Amino acid sequence: MPATASGPDRSTAPHLALSFDVGGTFTDFTLVDLDTGQVVAEHKVPTDPNDPATSSLTGWRDLVERGALRPDELTLVVHATTLVTNAVIERKGAKTALLTTAGFGDLIDFGREQMYDIYDLFAPPPAPLAPRERRVEAAERVTRDGQVLRSLDPEQIVASLRPLVESGVEAIAIGFLHSYLAPEHEDAAADAIATAFPGIEISRSSRVAPLIGEYERFTTTTADAYVKGKVRRAIGGLSDALHNEGLPAERDVQMMLSAGGIAAASEAIERPIRLLESGPAAGALVAAYHGVLAGRERVLALDMGGTTAKACLIEEGRPGLAPMLEAARVGRFKPGSGLPIAIPVVDLIEIGAGGGSIARVDELGLLKVGPDSAAATPGPACYGRGGTEPTVTDANLVLGYLAADSFLGGRMRLDVAAAETALTKLGDQLGLSALDTARGIHRVANEHMAAAARLHAIEKNRDPRRYSLLAFGGAGPAHAIAVASLLDIDEVIFPPGAGVAAALGCLVAAPAIDLARTYAGRLDRIDWSRIEAIYDAMEDEAIAALTASGIAPDAITLTRRVDLRLEGQYHELTVPFEARRREGGKAGSDEESLLAYSPSRLLASSFAEHYAERYGRMLTGLPIEATTWRLEARGPEGRVRLAPLPQGDADASRAITGTRPVSFQRPEPGFVETPVYDRALLSVGARLQGPAIVEEPAATAVLHPGDEAEVNAYGALIVRRGIS
Amino acid sequence: MSVSIQNRLSVAEALSADPVGLEIIWSRLIAISDEMWSTVLRTAVSPIIGAAQDFACEILDASGNGLAHSTRSMPVFNLVMPEITRAMLKRFPTASMRPGDVFIGNDPWLCAGHLNDIAIITPIFRDEVVVGFTNTVAHTSSIGGMLDGMQARDRYEEGLFIPLAKLYSEGKADETLVGMIEANVRQPEMVLTDIAAQVAANDVGARRIVSLLHEYELPDLTDLAQILQGRAESAMRRAIAAIPDGIYTGESIVEGASGDLVLRGTITVADETIQVDYTGSAPEQPIGGINCTLTYTRAHTVYPLKCLLTPNVPNNEGCFRPISVVAKEGSILNCRRTVSVNSRTRTGWHIHTLLFGALATALPDRVQAGNGLMHAFHAVGTESDGSPFNVPFFSGGGRGAGQQHHGLGHNCFPSSASNIPVEIFEARSPIVIEERSLLDGTGGIGATNGTPGHRVRMRRLPGSNATVRFYVNHDRLRHRAPGLAGGGDGSLARLYLNDVDLTAGTGHLQSGEITLETDDDVFTSEAAGGGGVGTVGAAD
Repeated sequence: MPATASGPDRSTAPHLALSFDVGGTFTDFTLVDLDTGQVVAEHKVPTDPNDPATSSLTGWRDLVERGALRPDELTLVVHATTLVTNAVIERKGAKTALLTTAGFGDLIDFGREQMYDIYDLFAPPPAPLAPRERRVEAAERVTRDGQVLRSLDPEQIVASLRPLVESGVEAIAIGFLHSYLAPEHEDAAADAIATAFPGIEISRSSRVAPLIGEYERFTTTTADAYVKGKVRRAIGGLSDALHNEGLPAERDVQMMLSAGGIAAASEAIERPIRLLESGPAAGALVAAYHGVLAGRERVLALDMGGTTAKACLIEEGRPGLAPMLEAARVGRFKPGSGLPIAIPVVDLIEIGAGGGSIARVDELGLLKVGPDSAAATPGPACYGRGGTEPTVTDANLVLGYLAADSFLGGRMRLDVAAAETALTKLGDQLGLSALDTARGIHRVANEHMAAAARLHAIEKNRDPRRYSLLAFGGAGPAHAIAVASLLDIDEVIFPPGAGVAAALGCLVAAPAIDLARTYAGRLDRIDWSRIEAIYDAMEDEAIAALTASGIAPDAITLTRRVDLRLEGQYHELTVPFEARRREGGKAGSDEESLLAYSPSRLLASSFAEHYAERYGRMLTGLPIEATTWRLEARGPEGRVRLAPLPQGDADASRAITGTRPVSFQRPEPGFVETPVYDRALLSVGARLQGPAIVEEPAATAVLHPGDEAEVNAYGALIVRRGIS
Repeated sequence: MSVSIQNRLSVAEALSADPVGLEIIWSRLIAISDEMWSTVLRTAVSPIIGAAQDFACEILDASGNGLAHSTRSMPVFNLVMPEITRAMLKRFPTASMRPGDVFIGNDPWLCAGHLNDIAIITPIFRDEVVVGFTNTVAHTSSIGGMLDGMQARDRYEEGLFIPLAKLYSEGKADETLVGMIEANVRQPEMVLTDIAAQVAANDVGARRIVSLLHEYELPDLTDLAQILQGRAESAMRRAIAAIPDGIYTGESIVEGASGDLVLRGTITVADETIQVDYTGSAPEQPIGGINCTLTYTRAHTVYPLKCLLTPNVPNNEGCFRPISVVAKEGSILNCRRTVSVNSRTRTGWHIHTLLFGALATALPDRVQAGNGLMHAFHAVGTESDGSPFNVPFFSGGGRGAGQQHHGLGHNCFPSSASNIPVEIFEARSPIVIEERSLLDGTGGIGATNGTPGHRVRMRRLPGSNATVRFYVNHDRLRHRAPGLAGGGDGSLARLYLNDVDLTAGTGHLQSGEITLETDDDVFTSEAAGGGGVGTVGAAD
């Protein structure tokens, strides 16, 4: 039987939960003692881009050597990974074929046919993951009502695919028109393929993303097939390796999904494309968790790492979800230039501003920062690994926000001279000193993040000023106060372990799975028995997946939501859909109870309410359409629950390790000799005032003059902004 | 709010010498126009805005000159927005404006060339003084008038003309004007909601501009405008100066209802300026709405030139200043105020081909061979249960090649619209799409090839007993997307009913209406391929 984190058999030995988040630049570890609710170790190692699993093992062994990690005491291991993102971005997935409806083999070449940069005549569209020579048409057709117009012939499919399989195709994506409504043909095709070509990876669109819109669905399914073998091998390999390192045989690795749920590795492998935003989702969850611990209902999470920053709005402890994202954007951060991936995903906006973002002069003589990044190799100039372009990290070093001898807890010495050389070179082109260039880079990066966060909030009709900014990621705490100032946000929260915080997100997340299915129609014409059948099927699937992670069926909470819009609109609002109580008998069997239940009227009024909240007013007269029915299944919250720390000394001065000159804009632009605090020495209740530098191994928080801060019971630094 | 000249100079000087501050403010302005864009997209209800994204948002200075527009926008609106703002200023002087005023207009000669594009203009007040404007132009779903635009004989038949007017006075809507619009358009609720979305977007933009001015302690946008427009203008001037001085000529053919019509352009590059003179182009046409107003012609002239010359410079008024456009009044590119204009894309979309062809020798690595162009048609009729349907189908033709690239995919250039997915089209109509496939070999062949055209085949949903008609108005039925520098032309567009060429081999469509009588009838539309560049074998 699968092991559970909170299984009844608790021996006297401490129980440990480990999470690790393999990011593009660093792999972060968090180790929690489940009995005391304390984080007992945090760790960070550079990610080996060629073999991320090695970094996981390196970090694991470091923790074992430190004596923090005793593998036999682990009850929970959760893993977030960039494996899928990287495979898609670097196009290092399997040789993948697409089997699709006859007449539509070229469809994914068309995309949505929109220019994503109106002034670039030669902006390339994202190339499909299955090139044209690897597309096969199935003589089959289903109508908009799910009726079969042309029956599937399994023999035709197998015969058509055989040459491709013989030429080395390793994975097959199946995408038929209207399969979100009628999956039977895709199922039959999958069976025929599995029988004819054992061992080949198969993904079908009716399972991966049963949503209307063929380009998005087929692309998502193709990407799923593209990464499936890689994920199966990598996660299987990692799991084996960790068991070799002493992870008890009955414990298995669990995976962080893009929507913020956790799934058993076996479940994640079945639909691996859901791992696409694994790491960012973990980041959003830890922000949400620290928001809850601090008692804040509205949190704007800012996760700034080595190559990008991400912003996410969190309300009542939950990040919002989006139904789709774009992967591997050709035009860097330009919307429309990526492969659309229709999976439920934590709704965050990604910005090309990270510690490694490169600064340059554009053709108008203006200072630009990013989106190109020096990444981990060669890295910023100050890493001394051959980078010569000035980056955000170089600027932060020269401005005193970072120090040469305390980066990564002193394990990596930064080269100030190299940073200054790179900044001087750029400054010469701008007519600025190296110092003013550094100030400029810092400001421009802050502006990028603030502008993107503002737009993200506006799109949800939210006012960022009503939020607390919660900053993490390796670079986030150095920029947070300045970004908050631009957004007119009064409070900034620095969670403990900011540089490795996302890893903790893996542990505080509930096991959860999000499913969605399109069945479109006007509310007043919907066949409600059909909707119940859809939910029955989705609930069965979700419960099976969660019980596979060791969750008891009666501990699972099911929540239904549906996407609604005014007839003719192309943008939906997701509203709660109260499930009908089933005690009246089998769904759809009792005409009278269906009438009394009147879901269409309930949904119509709920839609009107949500619409008015978002857009200020509700339109009358236009009929309402439902498009996609959503189910969220969640296991119990809080498998890992951090305990409050003991109250300590309010006097923070004992934590001061020294001072250094730090550049601030206000009250007067210039350097201020600023106390440097060791975060590990700040106890609960400690109060400090800006200007201040608060260092922890993986991140440095910068408090500006006039800021006032206090450490809360969970080790988070809560800052009330002063004059910055 | 009096600001001393001394202070003003110092602000301007400080900004123009500050590559950081300027970058930040410029990006902020673009971000604000993107916020406006997002507000429209989320709150509008019509498919033309929601799916095709046929709109744009801009921030302008107090003189009505453009400062920044939304990253995503219908390209031709970017010149139109300043144009109609300045026209509005002539009629409603700044001094007469009050906070809460909002202006409206769809005059095709001042705005975007046909009545469907409505401009909403909102003055931005800082301390009771107008410091600039926000402007949103969007394609409304209905403006009244006749359904078959190909038959229109003058603009009066094409729907409601809204002269420049005040839609809101100090926050109060002009109910007479609203009532007038409501009574004259087909889907008044949709139209008025879309207009409300534009008003809301302008408000968002205006508020953000005011807080930006406060943050930077700027009295108004004047200095900022001068600097930003100046930078963009200098970049454009530098790019023009790099083109050898001289006279370049180009030609393009428009497929008129009664025959071919020629567009002629004489491009004079003199030092840092370009003049495009369309003298010699065909006269305005009495029927079919394919006439371009001068504003629309200018917009379709500066847009492709901007793509060629300064594609990476944020667009604003400065980009337009070094470019002048001349067209004879009464010609198809400067039509008089009474003629029909609804289908002006049938003419305007050929201007870039003329310009690219003319400049092919001067800018061989930047021009693009002819594009297949967007093919849009509507499926109209009734479902078996009697409910009506009316669904647009858009698809882009093949793109032209560049010297360095084969044609890159399909899109609707010079429009920035997007297509309609097969499943969504089918869900909204009793039609089965049988095929959507590339037509190999239909892109122009050259050292680099044009993107091939593609075929779409449709028939009635079997057993549905629905009535199904298509309304088409295809381009490129007689004239191919031209290749450049010896590259081959793209294929023609074609229309078939049951494999019978609907132009009977002539390229002339007798009627824009196609009816599917039985379940076996198949309607086929083939979009044109793009042109190639260079002769085969010239590249490695």
